[in-house]
Amino acid sequence: MELIRKTFEDIRWGEFSLLSLYISVLSGIIVGLQYDPATPLYSVTTLDLLVPFGGYFRSLHFYSSQLFFLFSICHLIGIFSQAQSYSDKQWVMLTATLPVALLILFTGYVLRGDATGFSAGMIAEAILLDIPFIGSTINNLLFSISDSGMKRIYLNHIIGFGLLWGWLAWSHVKKYRVAFNRHIILSISIFLFSVFVTAPFEPDHLGVTHINGPWFFLGLQELLRYLPPLLAGVIFPASLLFAIAYLQKKNSKFTLLLLFVLSWLFLYAILSIIGLNR
Amino acid sequence: MSANLFQNMSTSDFSLHLPDCGWFPSHSEHSMTCPAPKKHLTTKRRFLLLCASIAALYPIVRFVGYSIPRKPRIVEIASPLPAGGFHLGPDFVLFDTGTDAWALSRKCTHLGCTINFHEKDNLLECPCHQSRFSKEGLVLHGPAKKPLPRYKVERLKDNGGYIVII
Repeated sequence: MELIRKTFEDIRWGEFSLLSLYISVLSGIIVGLQYDPATPLYSVTTLDLLVPFGGYFRSLHFYSSQLFFLFSICHLIGIFSQAQSYSDKQWVMLTATLPVALLILFTGYVLRGDATGFSAGMIAEAILLDIPFIGSTINNLLFSISDSGMKRIYLNHIIGFGLLWGWLAWSHVKKYRVAFNRHIILSISIFLFSVFVTAPFEPDHLGVTHINGPWFFLGLQELLRYLPPLLAGVIFPASLLFAIAYLQKKNSKFTLLLLFVLSWLFLYAILSIIGLNR
Repeated sequence: MSANLFQNMSTSDFSLHLPDCGWFPSHSEHSMTCPAPKKHLTTKRRFLLLCASIAALYPIVRFVGYSIPRKPRIVEIASPLPAGGFHLGPDFVLFDTGTDAWALSRKCTHLGCTINFHEKDNLLECPCHQSRFSKEGLVLHGPAKKPLPRYKVERLKDNGGYIVII
């Protein structure tokens, strides 16, 4: 067990994550040159079917972004014991990068404009609008799909959330340099994987009885079946974020918080499995 | 009298008596001391910054919160439906019984997913959480609680088609 822990901690998850981010940003710029938020479904369809290498660059953008997020989580787990020396402010800012990264991932998913992407966006909008007093303002800033289509989602995906992530992570990432030649195997794997595996796309068609959101949204989608949007979509996810933000060994309630985080993740995994098997 | 009193003093004599009050230089004519301790100044400064931030945010919030009034969208369906038939558009589903025609929004009243019409079961179902609605738009099964909104439908006289106003 100790050997597994040591091996896991020795893996350079942070560098992997940063490398994936670079590939994601570069491929995102390329995809953005042909993508039009006014006609999202048409744009993605033409990218996949007509634009030379369009499907490849969309896959590259999709999978490198997924890897960026997954490696970021691994990085957080891997450096957890070392990060105990961080100040409260540093720790809160760095853990806040995870939900922001998730929002970047999520908005990218919505921008596909297909049946599942559009529905996921509408669900997110409905959740935000359920927040008392400030819900409408937050929705107007972040989504507003019903009124503005993909315009604001697109703007936040390429600029707003990116800037926020950069601001939160800058004091940390500015210390590190990542070179492609130090991670040749990972780089080649991402580039090759995207050649053979196309990014998901699910156009709307008649008679669909069930659609699943993205993998990280499955548990939430399932929970929304039983609980009101404010509880399932805001308070429940926010409780995890607050718990992680306070999850430092110097905190007197560390064990309790750790237990809460693990229970939360276990419950979410169960909900996701139920949602997946519907 | 006062001119005589100060005529032999240089400006540096005055400056020597001015205390350094930091960011908030509000020297009183009667007192040459700082008006308040530094901690108070910091609080004051923070309060002013907060006010300035709110003042700067207010127009932004008003700006993004404004919904530009949308023109009613008119969708024309050129050909008539058979009695008991339906037409599935991106935003609505149109029904015609032969005597009555109506259109329902495809936006689920639970969380806004796009619902589908299942002809076999004669009902509308949301693919996200399986809320079910009747052809009249009434809720048959939750989690949705509100009925589906109806859109105005007009029959075209010349070719028997329809106009749906969204």
